[in-house]
Amino acid sequence: MEENVLNPDKWVDRYADYLFNYTIVRVNDREVANDIISETFLAGLNSMKNFKGDATERTWLISILKRKIIDHYRRINSGKGQAEVKMNFPNSEDEGDWLEEKVADLSDMTAEDRMENTELGLAILECLDQLNEKQAQIFKMKTIDGIDTETICNEFNISPSNLWVIIHRARTSLAKCLEKNWF
Amino acid sequence: MKGLSLMKLSCAEAASLCTKAEYREANLKEKLRLKLHIYLCRTCKDYQHNNKKLSSLLKKANLKSCSSSEKENFRKKMNNGNSQASQEQKKH
Ligand SMILES: [Zn+2]
Repeated sequence: MEENVLNPDKWVDRYADYLFNYTIVRVNDREVANDIISETFLAGLNSMKNFKGDATERTWLISILKRKIIDHYRRINSGKGQAEVKMNFPNSEDEGDWLEEKVADLSDMTAEDRMENTELGLAILECLDQLNEKQAQIFKMKTIDGIDTETICNEFNISPSNLWVIIHRARTSLAKCLEKNWF
Repeated sequence: MKGLSLMKLSCAEAASLCTKAEYREANLKEKLRLKLHIYLCRTCKDYQHNNKKLSSLLKKANLKSCSSSEKENFRKKMNNGNSQASQEQKKH
């Protein structure tokens, strides 16, 4: 069993896309999402000593991200009219719960319907983590970013037939991983 | 010889072609060779079926990625924050 350690130098490469997909569906604004993710990485950096190694790096970052999203909801709510705030927060004790629920909403939905798109996307990203880095990069460039074959081939100095073999292997591993963990 | 190699497609080649076709980059000749192979080969037929299923899952997931400039920005902010934090520590 691999021990969970923090590797902040790798955070952006490893988790930025994951955190972005998690966040964008909840805040619906690219700039806001990016700000929240920046805050999350910084908060992670500043609280590394609190990491106990009982969760994976990703899970740990997601727990920080959730709190940052709650902070965001709190900020936009405090900007609204007093009456609405009162309605949303019957008393201050419940405030945290209500916000937690709001953030948790989406994952609850997937408990009923596991195919919920974002959760599926996150599962795909998790599976892609198990590929070697080059394979995952090439797959993502082709599949998520839709970059043309020639550009990718030039960047990695491979032939088109190499590229299709790599993507074929990536897809085969991805399908196996999804099948194992999801269906 | 050339005619023979045109007809014959190994399963490995078929798998690559099948993937290429999923990204709509296979040309007509490739599509025909693939079709012929799949007509004759159960394994590759199943593979194609699963491959199509995977494509529809990927479409459904609608994954987004951060641009390299967005990622660069994250790194910059982390570095700034980090140097601020270590300066704080030096002060104490
Ligand atoms: Zn075959």
